[in-house]
Amino acid sequence: MASPTPDVISIAAPLSLSSSLIAATAFVLALIAVYVYTRLKSRVKASDILILGASDAGKTAILSSLVYDHALPTHTSLQTNFSVVALPNAKRPWRVVDVPGHPRMRDQFREFLPQAKAVVFVVDVSTVARNGLLVAEHLHQVLHAITSLPPTQPTPLLLLLAHKSDLLTSSATSTAPQVAVTRLTTILERELEKRRVSQANGVGVEGLGEEESEEMGGLECAGAGPFKFAEWDGGEVTIIGSWVDVDRSDKSINEKEKVGTEIQSGLQDLRSWIEQLS
Amino acid sequence: MLDHCSISHKGGAVLWSRSFTPAARTLAASAQSPVNSLIREALIEGRTSEEKYDKDGYAIKWTFLNEMELIFVVAYQRILQLTYIDDLLEAIKTLFLKMFEPFLTTFVASLHAVSSTTITTAKSLPVGAANWDFRTVFQSWDRVFDQVLKGLEAKAASERSSRLKAPAAAIETPPADDSSVAPTLSSERAVDEQAISRNVAAMKSKMRGGSQRAVGRKGAKNGGYSSGYGTASGNELPNIMFDSSDTPGKKKASKVMRKWGDQAPTESDMASLDFSYTSESTSTTGNQSANWKELVDEASLGVRGRDGSYEVKDWEFTEKGDLVSQTLATVGKQPGKPEKTTMGTLGSMFARLTGGKVLTDEDLKPILATMKEHLMKKNVAKDIADRVCDGVGKNLVGKKIGGFTSIKSSFQEALGASLTQILTPKTSTDVMQAIRTKLASPLSSTSVRSPYTMAFVGVNGVGKSTNLSKVCFWLIQNRLKVLIAACDTFRSGAVEQLRVHVRNLSMLTNDSPDLNRGSVELYEKGYGKDAAGIAKEAIAYAKENEFDVVLIDTAGRMQDNEPLMKALAKLVAINTPDKIIFVGEALVGNEAVDQLTKFDRALRDFSAAGSGGSIKGRGIDGMLVTKWDTVDDKVGAALSMTYVTGQPILFVGCGQTYTDLKQLRVANVVDALLAD
Ligand SMILES: Nc1nc2c(ncn2[C@@H]2O[C@H](COP(=O)(O)OP(=O)(O)OP(=O)(O)O)[C@@H](O)[C@H]2O)c(=O)[nH]1
Ligand SMILES: [Mg+2]
Repeated sequence: MASPTPDVISIAAPLSLSSSLIAATAFVLALIAVYVYTRLKSRVKASDILILGASDAGKTAILSSLVYDHALPTHTSLQTNFSVVALPNAKRPWRVVDVPGHPRMRDQFREFLPQAKAVVFVVDVSTVARNGLLVAEHLHQVLHAITSLPPTQPTPLLLLLAHKSDLLTSSATSTAPQVAVTRLTTILERELEKRRVSQANGVGVEGLGEEESEEMGGLECAGAGPFKFAEWDGGEVTIIGSWVDVDRSDKSINEKEKVGTEIQSGLQDLRSWIEQLS
Repeated sequence: MLDHCSISHKGGAVLWSRSFTPAARTLAASAQSPVNSLIREALIEGRTSEEKYDKDGYAIKWTFLNEMELIFVVAYQRILQLTYIDDLLEAIKTLFLKMFEPFLTTFVASLHAVSSTTITTAKSLPVGAANWDFRTVFQSWDRVFDQVLKGLEAKAASERSSRLKAPAAAIETPPADDSSVAPTLSSERAVDEQAISRNVAAMKSKMRGGSQRAVGRKGAKNGGYSSGYGTASGNELPNIMFDSSDTPGKKKASKVMRKWGDQAPTESDMASLDFSYTSESTSTTGNQSANWKELVDEASLGVRGRDGSYEVKDWEFTEKGDLVSQTLATVGKQPGKPEKTTMGTLGSMFARLTGGKVLTDEDLKPILATMKEHLMKKNVAKDIADRVCDGVGKNLVGKKIGGFTSIKSSFQEALGASLTQILTPKTSTDVMQAIRTKLASPLSSTSVRSPYTMAFVGVNGVGKSTNLSKVCFWLIQNRLKVLIAACDTFRSGAVEQLRVHVRNLSMLTNDSPDLNRGSVELYEKGYGKDAAGIAKEAIAYAKENEFDVVLIDTAGRMQDNEPLMKALAKLVAINTPDKIIFVGEALVGNEAVDQLTKFDRALRDFSAAGSGGSIKGRGIDGMLVTKWDTVDDKVGAALSMTYVTGQPILFVGCGQTYTDLKQLRVANVVDALLAD
């Protein structure tokens, strides 16, 4: 029984070697396939709705209304919230991503932009007259990021939310949300136009290192006139009004009853907009 | 005593909060609430490791429960030196987790959807709004919180009064111990908070010695219920007996409740606790639920057994008391230290259920030390390296990391995120935009537009004038008309140096073919004159002659030279420049902290004093870091400077020519800091 050993080895070794080689190759191929598949899938499937906007705009309040059916009291967010929102008439559940608006953290949105189906930019209309400049700066960065996405990636839809419209008074001809939409549009178009003009003035900012050498675009419009959301080159912009009623613990029960119905109407347009996304 | 207390998620949702005064309530609902200030000005800037945060007369203390991503915050009037806040935070943290762990787990999961397909997590929950009725879920918490707070307040009160009344007689402790307590009596008013808490801690341990004996006796008789603190002489001390679980229909309990007056006591506290528990935790059941019930039963038994027995011996809580007093007892025993045992077991249990590892202080200690060392090698000031790393550590303790992630990599990841946050500016660094905005909107009162002014300040020899000239060159390139105000009337040669620069810059611009080019002029008044006055004249001159920008060069000065710092503050107060730019060297190490802190503080204090203290003084608005090209990847000064001031680095100077002025890219600095 000792003599055949070399033979066995000489025959078996190449066999096992080649078979293991085949197995290994197959395994690697399978891995690559899985990798490519997931990559493709993740690229094609834009399943997120980003909620962006300045700090204190009301992003987390909106998220909690969508997820928990009532707006929780909130404070400045320290981290991003990711929640699944499945609206009854929506085509599919969406993951809603609420990125903190603090200037030190808001840039994190870039990370999520590639998977974004839609971007909801929330503006607190009760303070936008005062903060217009800062809000426009932030919005400009978002517009720039959207227009600079590589062509292989789907461009997210953009919704501007004129939020906290409950703090405005309705006029004779229009409801508070309508007033809110008008105010947002007027102020932000004016501020963005200022930014466009100051950049378009001749040479623009003389380069200072890497950061500023790339001129920040994203404000191109179809028409020749001043900046208009309706004519924005980056895609269609929807603007709607909204509000939530924050469920503070010091409210009486009666008020609470009222809250339930108000939340429905305050975010109704936003819900409908999400529901038509596909 | 307290003003506000809240329990919230790091994502921003407030789970529970209470304001103790109407004013605090209004404030808490506004954007300027103490909690918001804490987050914006301390936590987001990486000041997590600090003990306390002061804002507008409030002192704010906080603690994290990282496994549930919760923050517990207490705000109170700063003048009140409340000694029990740390204990309170630890107690409510422990209790809140114990009572609501299943709900909290579900809640946190609902804010961490990996993709829209992880709807499974949401689906597995019972559907319907009722599940997310936070108010119902946390209903039982109000009462527990009251009990904890009352207990700790009473404890603190008794500690105070026992210090006022002769402690030797009051406490059954050996006389030897009293000698250390006695001195506090005389200096009662003067002792600072730390001293008080030290004394309290010392006393606690002494008193506990007595208490344990007493409890041993009592415990067998009445089911181990806690008893109040009483003096041997029978003084009518406030009854600080901690009746935490006594609420079921007891007379005393209802008295307590009425005082707080937010809701009538229900039939049975226990029932409500049970109710809340079952309603919230349909998805998760387990040992904890059994534990909790056991504890409640035990406690209520204790209450029954206690009836009639009024033999108060000690304020210390027994080990076998109900959940609340048990927790309080543990926090009391380890002042300042997180309650290890309970949290530890819970944490590891959590880990076993879900796989992965829960980070503990012990785990983090070695990596903290290495990373501090690492940052210091990158020239980060020691103090800053410590604070940044400790802050990151505080945010990680209790967090679960995946089975495949090493502690080191998760720490580095968190550190990277924190560094990015610290270095990312909170205000716009687009100086050109700011200049254009100011020039485009003239003051309504005058038809003459005022120029944009920048003051350059700093210590001697860091390159103020040189880099001011670089900024000037950049402005000229952007077609602005610039006036340089030579306000260094101190160092000989300073004015001449600027003259040379202006001549060079003029020559450079004259060479350019652009007709609509910028230009530069020097405003000088020689030496020895009042710098603030010259700056004022220069600005007036610039206004008349339609300059766009005024750059004010100031004399370098040491941060400890008070007269010179006052003079600088005066210059700032009189001329209110649009930007105060601190010029500092990239080479600076530990000194950076001292320099910037003192410059910033001096500017604030002295410029505020000038305006009668009514207006908040102006501090530094941004930094210009010079000699950037000489430090390679040892860019620690950038971190130290931003951390100290909270302000951005607007420019870095990186060479000898006028074009060697750059802006920083945060990601590059973070990479350099983390690189080996
Ligand atoms: N009146 C009114 N107040 C609102 C509305 N929506 C939100 N708020 C309040 O606005 C404040 C800020 O809301 P948040 O949702 O925390 O703001 P955010 O956008 O998440 O802010 P960051 O997390 O800092 O980015 C909270 O006090 C809310 O209660 C609204 O529709 N009307
Ligand atoms: Mg938020």
